[in-house]
Amino acid sequence: MRLFSYAILGLWVLAVVAGYLFQLDPNTINLNVILQGPTTQYWFGADDLGRDILARVLSGVEMSVLVACIVTIVTMIFGVLVGMLAGFYGGRVDSVLMQVTDIFLAFPGILLAIAFAAVLGPGLGNLILALSLTGWVSYARLTRGQTISLRSRQHVLAAESLGAGVPRLLFRHILPLMTSVLVVEAAYSLASVMIAEASLSFLGLGIQAPDASWGAMLRDAVRFMLVAPHYVLIVGACLMSLILAINLAGDYLRDKLDVKREME
Amino acid sequence: MKVLNTIWLTCLAVCLLVLCACNRSDANQQLKQTVPIRFALAQMPLNLDPRYATDAASERVNRLIYQSLVDFDATSNPVPKLATWLMVSPREYHFSLKQPLANFHHHKPLTAYDVKATYDSIITLKDSPQTSEYSNISSIQVKNETLVIFQLKQPDTHFASKLIIGILPKDDIEKKHDFTHHPIGSGPLAFEHWQNKLALKRVRDGQLILFTEVKDPTVRVLKLLRGETDLLQGDLQPELVSYLQTKPDITVKTVAGVNFSYLGLNMQDPLLRQRKVRMAIAHAIDRQSIIDKVMLKSTRAAGAILPPEHYTNAGVALPAYAYNPGLSKQLLLEAGVQLPLKLVYKTSTDAQRVRLATILQAQMAKAGMNLEIRSLDWGTFFEEVKKGNFQLFGLTWVGIKTPDIYAKAFGSQQFPPNGFNRGHYADAELDAMLLAEDWPAVTARIQAQLPYIPLWYEAQFAAFDKNITNYAPKPDGNWDDLATIKRSATISNHAH
Repeated sequence: MRLFSYAILGLWVLAVVAGYLFQLDPNTINLNVILQGPTTQYWFGADDLGRDILARVLSGVEMSVLVACIVTIVTMIFGVLVGMLAGFYGGRVDSVLMQVTDIFLAFPGILLAIAFAAVLGPGLGNLILALSLTGWVSYARLTRGQTISLRSRQHVLAAESLGAGVPRLLFRHILPLMTSVLVVEAAYSLASVMIAEASLSFLGLGIQAPDASWGAMLRDAVRFMLVAPHYVLIVGACLMSLILAINLAGDYLRDKLDVKREME
Repeated sequence: MKVLNTIWLTCLAVCLLVLCACNRSDANQQLKQTVPIRFALAQMPLNLDPRYATDAASERVNRLIYQSLVDFDATSNPVPKLATWLMVSPREYHFSLKQPLANFHHHKPLTAYDVKATYDSIITLKDSPQTSEYSNISSIQVKNETLVIFQLKQPDTHFASKLIIGILPKDDIEKKHDFTHHPIGSGPLAFEHWQNKLALKRVRDGQLILFTEVKDPTVRVLKLLRGETDLLQGDLQPELVSYLQTKPDITVKTVAGVNFSYLGLNMQDPLLRQRKVRMAIAHAIDRQSIIDKVMLKSTRAAGAILPPEHYTNAGVALPAYAYNPGLSKQLLLEAGVQLPLKLVYKTSTDAQRVRLATILQAQMAKAGMNLEIRSLDWGTFFEEVKKGNFQLFGLTWVGIKTPDIYAKAFGSQQFPPNGFNRGHYADAELDAMLLAEDWPAVTARIQAQLPYIPLWYEAQFAAFDKNITNYAPKPDGNWDDLATIKRSATISNHAH
């Protein structure tokens, strides 16, 4: 399974590179091939505007990965900051920050993202903002727990007694020790953000036409399910394979970075 | 004696057989009528009070529940429905109700008093969208049960064609009856009930017609194929209509439409104010290719708001602007525009509208135009259009019959909220033509000046179970044939 996940991820990277090399245009409209099935010219067939589905799938994966990476980085930075401050200071700071976190956690993440996206309006920038506004809470919770346990470690106390300031303690003595946990969390987060992006685009709140997005493609494909089943099957299979591969890779990454399991 | 007995017995047997056959036929007929005909709609009617209804579904159902004084023929000329009329002067109209008088569904006769009460109530209502349409009425007098006189403030030679609101019973208007949810009219279909489904019963034979809302087009098609609905009309992608045409159990009928789709332009925009830029946009669109590939086959390219068969056009179709991206570019350069010309196009989130917008974007790119698409939910989009907050927008005029649409849409005194001149087009020459009611000159002027970019008259279709007969779609998308629709064959069990 590990090889499978790496192979799928590798295949996607290769496909995106090949898309660039062959200069596949995801937005070229050809009304003569509307909803045509796979052919030698259009390997994945054509969509409802006669655009090459393969080119759009590749463009969609770029967009999806771009959104996922930006959202993951932004949410990780913000969530880690909140979690470290709460865990380090404890008391009132911890109480206030965690109550805010709990309020965000009380809503289903995707529902909150839909609400933000609906208020902010559709578009790439607003999509990233909406997903970032809801995605930081898991990092905050995780980091807080880690910080509380690391806060009382000997090396931290030693650095503190030597006069190290809070930023130094947090970023030089605590953060490096929780990197592996955060990397694993980020791997899972990538997959969940990609699904969330696809969901919002499916609802018309994400990436706007003519830019390609898997969610928007799925929405279009569903409308033509009866006359062009290849469209929905291909886009669905692409989304499933990439998410599965990322999740499997996350599992292996977790196992690899888990010290206890390695010792076993 | 024995022979006589045999003859008697044979006669008796034949009589019994005939009786049985009659009973079975009657029972089958009764069954056909009691089993409802189910009509799947993309959106349910919102208001069954004709004084308030504005959405297409409500207006189409209201045409079946109520009757108006006037209707239109195939060339959109006004024709008598409940009443004939006499224009005594452009300020005075006499309407005589036809004999025998029509009856309301609560069995009271429809008289001139009901006509007066209906129009009096529309004029006095503060929240009715129809009130401004009848603000020219000075007084309504009832001479007797069948004669009603309309006096106008300003002369209007087209006044008769405006009396198309369904007539309501006077006593129920006075009682402030809730027509929105419990309509009482005199049309071919009477209201039965409205919970999740709207049920109407045909007055003539008791045939029940059920309207159900199925928003998703694919689900509507599947329901028709599985026999869970009997009829659907409009709001389907052309590909799904073609798909239904391949199914042996489904009948699909199409008809050339009259609803006019267009691109609206903001004349306050410094670029779009230039005629050459508007002409460049008109030449940048390949209408025929769009019609051939992503629309129903009977769709026609449009040259004017009113279709060629309208009486003002006398069967002459104004030609649509030819697709010529090279000429478009040249016109833009002549107008001093720096290429690419950036334009923002607003449309609704309807999938087919976004699809068409994307095709327009690709076609206009070849003519040196960079079209940015902004798809907004219907409410926001329509508000933006009404406020004049747009550069380009795409809309369709539905059910337009009278030529006064030209004055309302392009008259320089008809900026919102007074009229529909949302692009703020002002043309003194056109105003003079409108005043003179010189319709050929008006249409030619509008086509030359292009305050709208005409696109097409979208075809209409209806798809129904093969057991359904006496139904055909109408050019304006009305559902008038529900007054005559029938089940032709014995009802199968699986479908019901």
